[in-house]
Amino acid sequence: MEFLTVSLLNGVIYGLLLFMVSAGLTLIFGMMGVLNFAHASFYMVGAYLAYTLQKFVGFTSAVLLSTVLVGLLGVIVERFFLRRVHKHGHAHELLLTFGLTFIIAELIKLFYGNFSVEYRVPEFLNFAAFQVFSTDYPFYRLLMGGVSLLVFGLIYLLLTRTRVGIVVRAAIHRPQMAEALGHNVPLVFMAVFGIGAALAGLAGALAGAFYTTNPNMALELGVIVFVVVVVGGLGSMAGAMIASLLIGLISSFAVGVDLSLASLLGLLGAGDWARQMGGLMTLKVSSVAATIPFALMLLILLIRPSGLMGEKG
Amino acid sequence: MHTKTTLRLLTLGTTLFAGIACADPLKVALVETLSGPSAATGQMFRAATRFQIERLNAEGGWNGEPIQLLEFDSQGTPAGASEKLKAAIGSGAQMIVQGASSVAAGQITEDVRKYNLRNKGKEVVFLNVGGEALELTGSKCHFFHFRFNANAPIRVKTLVAAMKEAGTLGSKVYSMNQNYSWGLDMEQAITENAAAGGYQLVGKSLHDTQKVQDFSPYIARIQASGAETVLTGNWGNDLLLLMKASRAAGLKLRFGTAFLDQPGNLANAGDVALGHYVSHPFNIEAAGEAGKAFASEYQAKTGHLPAYIEPQTVFALQMVGNVLKKLPAEDGRLNTRSFALALEKASDSNPLGDVRMRAEDHQLLMPFVVSVVSKEALYKVDGTDMGFVPIKSFSADQAAAPVQDACRMQRPE
Amino acid sequence: MKLTKILLAALLLALLVLPAILPAAMVNAAIQMLIAALFACAFNLLCGQGGMLSFGHAAYFGVGSFATLHAMNALNGEGLLPTPLLPLIGAMGGFVCGLCAGWFATKRAGVYFSMITLALAELLHSLAPHLSTLFGGEAGISSMRTAAWGLDFADATQVYYLTLGWVVLSIALLYAFTLTPMGRLTFALRENGHRLQFLGYNVHRLRVLVFALSAMFAGIAGGLQALNLESANYVLFDMRFSAEVVLNTYIGGVNVFLGPVLGAALMTFFGNAASDLTQSWLLYQGLLFVLVMMFMPSGLAGLVLCWTAQIRRRGWLAILPAAFAALLSAGLLSLAVVFAVETLQRVFSQDYQALLIADQAWPAISLFGREWLPGAPLTWSMPLLLGGVGLLVLKLARRQWLRLLDDEPAVACAALNPRVEGEQP
Repeated sequence: MEFLTVSLLNGVIYGLLLFMVSAGLTLIFGMMGVLNFAHASFYMVGAYLAYTLQKFVGFTSAVLLSTVLVGLLGVIVERFFLRRVHKHGHAHELLLTFGLTFIIAELIKLFYGNFSVEYRVPEFLNFAAFQVFSTDYPFYRLLMGGVSLLVFGLIYLLLTRTRVGIVVRAAIHRPQMAEALGHNVPLVFMAVFGIGAALAGLAGALAGAFYTTNPNMALELGVIVFVVVVVGGLGSMAGAMIASLLIGLISSFAVGVDLSLASLLGLLGAGDWARQMGGLMTLKVSSVAATIPFALMLLILLIRPSGLMGEKG
Repeated sequence: MHTKTTLRLLTLGTTLFAGIACADPLKVALVETLSGPSAATGQMFRAATRFQIERLNAEGGWNGEPIQLLEFDSQGTPAGASEKLKAAIGSGAQMIVQGASSVAAGQITEDVRKYNLRNKGKEVVFLNVGGEALELTGSKCHFFHFRFNANAPIRVKTLVAAMKEAGTLGSKVYSMNQNYSWGLDMEQAITENAAAGGYQLVGKSLHDTQKVQDFSPYIARIQASGAETVLTGNWGNDLLLLMKASRAAGLKLRFGTAFLDQPGNLANAGDVALGHYVSHPFNIEAAGEAGKAFASEYQAKTGHLPAYIEPQTVFALQMVGNVLKKLPAEDGRLNTRSFALALEKASDSNPLGDVRMRAEDHQLLMPFVVSVVSKEALYKVDGTDMGFVPIKSFSADQAAAPVQDACRMQRPE
Repeated sequence: MKLTKILLAALLLALLVLPAILPAAMVNAAIQMLIAALFACAFNLLCGQGGMLSFGHAAYFGVGSFATLHAMNALNGEGLLPTPLLPLIGAMGGFVCGLCAGWFATKRAGVYFSMITLALAELLHSLAPHLSTLFGGEAGISSMRTAAWGLDFADATQVYYLTLGWVVLSIALLYAFTLTPMGRLTFALRENGHRLQFLGYNVHRLRVLVFALSAMFAGIAGGLQALNLESANYVLFDMRFSAEVVLNTYIGGVNVFLGPVLGAALMTFFGNAASDLTQSWLLYQGLLFVLVMMFMPSGLAGLVLCWTAQIRRRGWLAILPAAFAALLSAGLLSLAVVFAVETLQRVFSQDYQALLIADQAWPAISLFGREWLPGAPLTWSMPLLLGGVGLLVLKLARRQWLRLLDDEPAVACAALNPRVEGEQP
């Protein structure tokens, strides 16, 4: 019971964090068809900027400021880099973002060194919110989850209830038509990219304090974010939320499951034979917890490629 | 840097004029991870190697010539390590130094063994200053490999003994490790030490290496098991996140680790790290006056105090240097076979105590020390107000782990 | 065409006599370049010709490597498969794996196809360390080359010739494939899969076959790598290698057959050489990628073809000013960037920061054999100056180049812009 509750809470919070990072990516992906490899790098830049600014302006302002700055970085990347290669095709845009990942990671290593930096949760936020079966549950985790939900709410409302949102959605589905109707579609692209990057930066600024801030952050998060986007459906915010929660919960629960194919076959009486076979049979779910999202992604791609909430075709 | 460019030019020159047979200076090659995700540790190995080679050259080098240090970047992959090893041997290196990755060490030791089989009389020696995988002095042991660092059994043995004596081991221990050979070695050692440590192993976990962001599910398992102490071989992010998660959950766990002294850990963990233990091969405070002298000399040269894997590298090369001093040149070159025969019987002393090489598996028997993170330390780390206070030192014999059965070393006739 | 044939023959001759001229270290680098070239060429069969961008091609390279190693251990280089024929096992492994994976992957198109290949590769990458009988855990599998056909394969030169033989044969086969009807159908796949379907071809089966062939040649490259390194490790399945081959191919140029070969050879050489010279070589590599993607979309081969087209029209003398200006500006700008990056790297490095004492002048850093003071204006004006002059010369080069293209719309160069399947031109 305890394990269930704790894993549920942790899975949900981790999933919400993933959502913050992948929300931007799914919008960008849905809109421009660009697999932005550099998105996880924006996450890392957000963390490092917040760490640097924290020394001057305090934690809250540092987080807000770094969000804005990463958003600006996103705008610059879109305007000066991606737009130029847009006409050459998706592969070029993709490879460009890949090169950018390298550059950003190396620049961070250049200025901040190779080891993790001292970016920690400030004292006024570092307390326990409540107790769960005699374990403390840190308030900061709830804060991260809360911010993520707020962001989801705001963006959802923005997209569905405002004029700007309608224009953005039109630009995602029918860019040429939207442009023909007189809307400034390139500006919309730039804005969406910027906001997506800002979200990733916000996630980094918040999460970097709780987890660790090191130059390999982008690599660690990078591929999982793609899984979330694909599973949820390209361009769908609700899909990204569902997929993030799903993957967060799976990662959380799988850790505690010590079953393997051998134990399942054991129920049928073939347990010893399976254990003798070794290899895949004796592989415990807990030790491959990080692999399950990929299997999920593969499944979705084969059965329903547009994702859980994406549109067909 | 300046020295590197000169060394590069020298290497180029020597490669081009390889035919000229005059008194060849001894070439030592560092094949290390100098770029990419794990570059931080590789660069520390490089700093320590440079320091000691410069010291050896200040004392006269070998055979009247300064020892040349060639540096190669293996880019963190075994294929890269293999490639650069070939480049190193092609440049005339007779000794290879490497430490940052057990996987690369495994690749290099195999490649060196195969090269030596095919080129009798021109063998190269592999000085392993950091690879802690058991198999390097086990199933992969061979005559021209020497390990100058510890392995899992040594780490656990010393940790358990020290923590038990300090009364902080408790009776229920949880083993948390990474799911690869090092972690498996650690788990095995923790299980085997249960009797000696007087504890019950109440649970063990293996997790994917460097992939887990959220350790709270594992903390939940630890709590469910009722453990008071967690023994872990985790390093880098895996260790930091584990400790932070346990603090966030409000658990009063005691951690016994092997790599808490990696630079950046204390800065990142902050007060979370206080009161936890690490078993490491050197602590300046435990090494008396000689240790202090060594530390100040190192700081003057490199700008920082010797930490983490740097002392073991320096002492390893110091031992190598002492063996070299007694070895004359043959035909103007070093006879690596005589060198290896001399090294496997050699003994030396470093500021912490006496060391000697064990000829059966070429594992160095070295003193060890277990420290605790505290604000009372003389030497503060990472710019924080904390450091490592030694609580128990072990002599080389006390810390040693037995020779593995898997090692069947073939000696040259 | 005749010029191309002469050039190719000269290249082949140079490759044949390489071990005699170059030192041993460079022969090893050459082996790596050859293997990378074959891998990129195999990848281009799928990507440039078939129009399917695969993100997990390292999986088939890796499978080929492991298969060959298992064969080396099992057969000991004797019997049916002497050592020189071992890459055939790699080919088989790659082919079978490619058939299975391709069958799933080609059910979808465009970006979904890429994601499926990525997922498959990542899945393999995650599972491999746990399947220790197949992949040897994280230590990998190792073996030794055994003698065959009178050669002992003990030194690099023999391995080089073996690799050269296989690579030349494979590339020749790949080229021959493009001339066959099925090769032509592959191009058709890229251009318009729908129309092909209406013409009566089974498009899915075709796609699977192309995928499997591409994986087969990737497996041969993997097998050669296994013979060269005598070991393989699950790290081979890492996404980094899949991304590397995509980058090499695009930098070389997808629309020219030998483009990927050129790109792979150059980038491997660059990685090899630069990694020993500077710590920030990954930064330079990233910058190179970005610059090529932005300013040379048809890759290096496209660039070469552009220039040769101009040479053919105007003659050597006419293009000299533009070429010279371009090279000069490239050199100056590179120097400026390298200077700036290296200076910054040294100033921000931990060792240097530890030497700083408050309120005192910052100590000098050594670069290119000179000492530079960070406080001195010369240190910062150098890269700015070099960069400024470089940009001016670049402007000049651009003007010259545009003048060359003046009375002819840039058809020769525009036609080389690549397209991947299913996209608007």
